[in-house]
Amino acid sequence: MKRGLIVLAALLIVAVASLQSALATTEKKAAPTETGITSTRISLGGTFPLSGPASLYAPIPRGMEAYFKYINARKAKADGKRGVYGRQIAWKYYDDEYNPAKTVQFTNQLLLQDKVYALVGSLGTEHNQAIRPLMNQRKVPHILVSTGASYWGLQYKDFPWTSGWQPDYIAEGRTYGEWIKKNAPRAKIAVFLQNDDYGKDYLRGLKIGLGRLRTLIVSEQSYEVTDAGYGSQLTRQKASGADTWVLLTTPTPTVRALATAKALNWKPDTIVINSVAATDGVMRAATASAGAEFVNGAVSSAYLKNPNLPKYSNDRSVKLYRSIMQRYGPSGADANNTFFYYGVAKAYDTVRLLYLAGKNPTRASLMRATQKMNWVNPFALKGVKVKTGSRDRFPISQIKLIRYNNGTWNEFGGLIKGR
Amino acid sequence: MAEFLQQVVSGLAVGAIYASLALALVLIYRATDVLNFAQGEMATFTTYVAWTLMNHGLSYWPAFALTLAIAFAGGVGVERVLIRPVERRPEVVIVIVTIGLLIALNGLTGWIWGADVKAFDSPFPNDTFEVGGVTISTQDVGTFGVCLATVLLLWAFFRFTTLGLAMRAVANNQNASRLVGVRVGWMLALGWGLAAVLGAVAGMMAAPTVFLDPSMMLVILIYAFAAAVLGGIDSPVGAVVGGLALGVIINLLGAYVDFVGSELRLPTALAVLLLVLLIRPSGLFGHVVVRRV
Amino acid sequence: MRHAGLVSKLVLLLAAAALVAVLPRFMGEFRLSQFTFVAIYFIALLGLNILTGYNGQISLGHGAFMGIGAYVSALLSLGEPGLELFALDPPGWLPLGDGMRPVFTIPLAGLVTGLIGFAFGFPALRLAGVSLALATFAVAVSLPSIAKRFDEVTGGGGGLSLNLPVTPFGLDVSTRHWLYYEAWGTAGILLLVAWLLVRGRVGRAWRAIRDGQIAAVSSGVSPAAYKTLAFGVSAFYAGVAGALLAIEVSFVNPDTFPVSLSILLFASVVVGGLGSLVGVIFGALLIQFLPIYAQDPPLLPFDFSKQAPSVVFGVFLIVIMIALPGGVAGLLHRLVRAAANRLPTRHNTSERLAVSPPGGKAQ
Repeated sequence: MKRGLIVLAALLIVAVASLQSALATTEKKAAPTETGITSTRISLGGTFPLSGPASLYAPIPRGMEAYFKYINARKAKADGKRGVYGRQIAWKYYDDEYNPAKTVQFTNQLLLQDKVYALVGSLGTEHNQAIRPLMNQRKVPHILVSTGASYWGLQYKDFPWTSGWQPDYIAEGRTYGEWIKKNAPRAKIAVFLQNDDYGKDYLRGLKIGLGRLRTLIVSEQSYEVTDAGYGSQLTRQKASGADTWVLLTTPTPTVRALATAKALNWKPDTIVINSVAATDGVMRAATASAGAEFVNGAVSSAYLKNPNLPKYSNDRSVKLYRSIMQRYGPSGADANNTFFYYGVAKAYDTVRLLYLAGKNPTRASLMRATQKMNWVNPFALKGVKVKTGSRDRFPISQIKLIRYNNGTWNEFGGLIKGR
Repeated sequence: MAEFLQQVVSGLAVGAIYASLALALVLIYRATDVLNFAQGEMATFTTYVAWTLMNHGLSYWPAFALTLAIAFAGGVGVERVLIRPVERRPEVVIVIVTIGLLIALNGLTGWIWGADVKAFDSPFPNDTFEVGGVTISTQDVGTFGVCLATVLLLWAFFRFTTLGLAMRAVANNQNASRLVGVRVGWMLALGWGLAAVLGAVAGMMAAPTVFLDPSMMLVILIYAFAAAVLGGIDSPVGAVVGGLALGVIINLLGAYVDFVGSELRLPTALAVLLLVLLIRPSGLFGHVVVRRV
Repeated sequence: MRHAGLVSKLVLLLAAAALVAVLPRFMGEFRLSQFTFVAIYFIALLGLNILTGYNGQISLGHGAFMGIGAYVSALLSLGEPGLELFALDPPGWLPLGDGMRPVFTIPLAGLVTGLIGFAFGFPALRLAGVSLALATFAVAVSLPSIAKRFDEVTGGGGGLSLNLPVTPFGLDVSTRHWLYYEAWGTAGILLLVAWLLVRGRVGRAWRAIRDGQIAAVSSGVSPAAYKTLAFGVSAFYAGVAGALLAIEVSFVNPDTFPVSLSILLFASVVVGGLGSLVGVIFGALLIQFLPIYAQDPPLLPFDFSKQAPSVVFGVFLIVIMIALPGGVAGLLHRLVRAAANRLPTRHNTSERLAVSPPGGKAQ
């Protein structure tokens, strides 16, 4: 009985504390000129899977946070002010646990309670699809989303307030298709894909790239996130006699697939791994399990510099990245994790957009800015331009092929136009 | 034919992983009448501990042994601290505590070690050999062997040792056991400790193929749960048979029944399982509970 | 003296209804939407409580029933696509074609889900305890996969995007307010229905089966009829909740009803208090607010929780179960009884505000 009373008292204290913090209204230092913009502050928001099975992407918003902190602290060369035209960037992000229903809820929280100026970099294809209608209805910028689906760039007429950022999956798949067509027109291709829009988009691109040669695909197998092993599917892929293997999988399943293939004694001559999964962590784990010989020669693609490459150890932007992570990144963060780098690169473009939106930015001026992007992102590969136009809504669409060898991804060939 | 056999062999390999975790579930259920939802997460956590030990220079077997000891202590600790206070409560309450433990451990694992995937050493050489056109990996043979050895050890433990007898007595009738002089509390804690050890073994056997990441055991838990119930929730032999059967069925369904496709493999296997349960509600090897009024 | 208990309950109910009706005046739009979600979870938990609390059948699959309701509602709102596939000719008086008005989809979604639950109840008769838990868990695990498999109907992984909600019937009320009252109005009606069921013959039969099936049978209660009914009713509730969720979020896909939702519903109904209609509100508040609280708890001093809200969540569940095994409702019941024992009454036995299950195991 007493224990119960103590618990009740504790619950009440907690409830009151939460209520008080929740109902507290934020003090505004100056009257807002546009939602989320005051004379001293710009509020940005986003939703990301910080926990749960997709939590490996959690470093992205933290990388963005580190870069925003850097911008807030440094004095701009042009006008000597900190932040963007003297306004500090306030960055708020929530964990949607990769559940679109929660994405909607937290997006509403960002819009209605936190009153952000724009949503930047929200992650997940279905998740952004879920919030796209309401963002466009409310006319709130929904920009630089963290997904490679092609919808954002293709459907800008219906959803003018939404924009993408990275090269889309179809473009990337097409690049692989064209490369195979040119270099191995007699290959027998086996494709292993995740059974959702991510994998299917890549496959669509691959087939477009192969063109008439799409008949080279002799085996198409897919897996679910609820599969514990891929022995069944890979047995069939091995039996198909394929010599080229295209992996359209997310990071952890990629390692498993590679290890399973090795365990089945199946070594295709050519292995293509999609860029999302071709992280150094994945390759390290695959090497440890399947051996260097197995993974050497794997092909993938990239549009950003890989901060772990010895070739970039003296590169100015990579050095800037590392110093930003050290000063402003979360304590103990592993700067070798390329998802932090992705966040920093995206934040760079965000800041450029904010400048382009003008000294008195409105939401409309920000969206106009997304149609006029034309610069070089120093964190991207040399030659990659961030460019949009009124009819080209794909900011980054150039990629380069890379090949894995003994612990490093080496770029080869020239810059390829994805779109 | 060779492809069919290969599918069966793959199914047995992955089924051995399900069976290993199912053994831990069955042990706890048998000893303490509790369905421990956190079994998988406890296994994942201890496997990460093993990984950390190996990363700090310990070679495989010393790390393995030390991890088992830590797992045992952890299991006993969980029973004493978390389960003891709610022991006499309705089953649902204890289940919620284990669910809370599952959620908390999952978050803790992700927080301490991060979410990127890690490779895990295997005590077995990374070789394959061919038998009649079928490729078998030594890793899979090893896992299978360990699983069988574990179930044999368990059987021997319960059948031939006093401790095992005492645990069985407690599972059967706590009050009577107390009257006979068995230290009920310690038997329950021992049950949890042993189950945690089994879970650690399952984790360390699975990690080389499934790779270490915080959600490693979440999916396997579903299969292990199904395997345990299929075999009879209180039968270790049933757990192994159930796990192997489940692994093979799912593989064959996916490979040969096109309607099932990729998405419906698990649901179809579960449907098959439920069909079996409808015919034999206590599972294949389970004991039918006679309820008297 | 039974009337005293009835009157006090009625008074409490009216007070709660008044509170719910008046709350929007003090809340911004965002809080309103949060409390709309509370209503949705409240309905789902009411159903689950009927099944597990009053009838003793464990279900780890109620998230899936919510999902079924959501998909049915979404398909009906969108119009023909789904029905065409089943070669059904919708009757003329059903306002389809352009899609049914969302508010009408709610009872239909509930009905379809209820029928499915009822059908599920039959094989469930053979299962109990762990096996039943697994069977319902299997449903929860399978729903996302089935939704993906039949993607011509369900939109697969990409899901179904619904039109953003609008206030129907030309009412002069903001959409947010409409959704809030729609959800709470439905919750109120369903609470009344649940209360009538539970205190009547059906409820007594349910409890009798829960407390001792064999004894119940010998008293002439047919377990088959009542247990399947319990499944059907609880699935109906979950379906209604799912439909409301689809309307509120305007998007349905397999990820919106993951396995974790089913587990969460189960945990919350126990935390709220099994076999108590009052406790359900606490469970609903828990599901809605604890994940948010866990991401940013006002009392924890360090940045820890930003990285691991699950830890806060899990620890909270454990602590609450250890401290309050009867759930929050159990605590309230003890408090009320303690207070009532101090008041002088003729019989000095208090009317129960909540029915708590006996110390035995749930079937």
